[in-house]
Amino acid sequence: MNVLSLRNVSKRFGSLNVIDGLSFDVEEGIVFGFVGKNGAGKTTTMKMILGLLACDSGTIRVCDEEVAFGETATNRHIGYLPDVPEFYGYMKAKEYLTLCGEITGLSNAQIRSRSDELLNLVGLSGVERKISTYSRGMKQRLGIAQALLNSPKLLICDEPTSALDPIGRSEILSILSAAKKYTTVLFSTHILSDVERICDRVGILNDGRLMLEGDLADIKSRHRENTVTLEFESTFDLQEVQRTFSELPFVSSVELQNRSLLVRMSDTIDGNHRLLEHLTRLKLPLLKYEVGEPTLESLFMEIIK
Amino acid sequence: MRSYIAFCKKEVLENLRTHKVLILMIVFLLFGMMSPLTAKLMPEIFKSLALDGIVITIPEPTALDAYAQFFKNTSQMGLLVVLLVFGGMLSNEITKGTLINMVTKGLSRPVVILSKFTVASILWTLTLLASFATTFGYTAYLFGSGGQPNLLFSIFCLWLFGLFLLACLLFFSSFTSGNFAGLALTAVSLLILLLLDIFPRLHALNPIALASLNTALLSGAAQVSDLSIPIGVTLGLTILLLGSSMMVFRRRKL
Repeated sequence: MNVLSLRNVSKRFGSLNVIDGLSFDVEEGIVFGFVGKNGAGKTTTMKMILGLLACDSGTIRVCDEEVAFGETATNRHIGYLPDVPEFYGYMKAKEYLTLCGEITGLSNAQIRSRSDELLNLVGLSGVERKISTYSRGMKQRLGIAQALLNSPKLLICDEPTSALDPIGRSEILSILSAAKKYTTVLFSTHILSDVERICDRVGILNDGRLMLEGDLADIKSRHRENTVTLEFESTFDLQEVQRTFSELPFVSSVELQNRSLLVRMSDTIDGNHRLLEHLTRLKLPLLKYEVGEPTLESLFMEIIK
Repeated sequence: MRSYIAFCKKEVLENLRTHKVLILMIVFLLFGMMSPLTAKLMPEIFKSLALDGIVITIPEPTALDAYAQFFKNTSQMGLLVVLLVFGGMLSNEITKGTLINMVTKGLSRPVVILSKFTVASILWTLTLLASFATTFGYTAYLFGSGGQPNLLFSIFCLWLFGLFLLACLLFFSSFTSGNFAGLALTAVSLLILLLLDIFPRLHALNPIALASLNTALLSGAAQVSDLSIPIGVTLGLTILLLGSSMMVFRRRKL
């Protein structure tokens, strides 16, 4: 089932076409990485999903209900973590969660148990300070707790890690991975390593459209480069190997890099077999054999070019 | 209903913890105490000025003078303080983005307006009552307990005018952006009402009468019946402003 589905959604700000016929679906139970550079329209899209901004055309459906601008009933399925969540600084975390729980219609007993559970999950249990004294990372963690309070079917996080230090980032990512058990996550970011760490599917937004969308592992294998990096023991004469390798029929080029060789082949699977055979036959003192993996970063750069 | 009560509780907590209640109470209690005292001490003050050669004779102050002071203070400085204290109640939340979490949790937007109006009105009522009670006690102590005609009615008028201002604040904040636009537009409308008071025809309708005829009601210079139309107009406008702010805020970009 699709928790979220966008069809031909467009949004203009003045003469600027921010979102231009955007369509995609998010299946239940996955972490969807919504990637794009700053200003690509990620926040705009999320605000439209939440009914905080009107779309100019197209439809957005959350759990098979259409989103309406202004007050929208679909928000009861959604937990939202804004990029910089703003709280009532004079409250304590528990007071804030109680307010959220009362608004969203949980019973007092539910509020108590959910707050305890979530404050535990985000590591804020026992913090008795007012929210105004929190660090950014703590606010972000409280933001996740409030977003998960009503057990939403869809958790929308707008660049939750962008403003954080490495420790804070790592904490948020592990909380989000843990949240995957309970809910579907739409996670916007421009930090590609975060996507690689926790996302199942990824969509790359550029010029108001998704330029690439799919399973992260799939995308990577589809864009796999036909390269193998070989590392040999240091005493070995690499130039000699480079020469013999470049004469092989399935090898298109061999590059010498420090103590390793980068072998480019015309066909990956077949090439791999033949290269391995070749290596065993020659009994070369091999230390490392690595098939080239495309990084999301290189894909991203290629796409937004 | 539950979310209305929850958000009202949040408003009360906010006003308490951000010291707004404290500021209101201090200012209004000060007015309550000062007004009869100034009236009582006015002759002394003038005597001590000792302007050479000029002799100012003022009649012996009465309870009416004490109330005149009170209504002057509360209807001018007092309302100004109310405006400043509540000026950002909606616009601050919009600019800071604190409402986003609430609205995406399912809080209905009209409820935001309604709870803010409820709590601000309750606080205005309590501070005005406390201030009035103080003045009443002090006046009775300093000038003897003589009943003033229309005293409660006069307070009611000022109270209603306060509610009207709160509705103005919410209405103007519901569609403007920035922290002070709502406050500024309320001040401008107040100015317009004051200017309109110059025209005799509009004089009989103008809500401003509720905050300017208070002393005249006590002295007998104005009658209760003079205020029936302004009361109706103010009541109507307050309801209209509240209703429209709820409508407008419903479709507001947050």
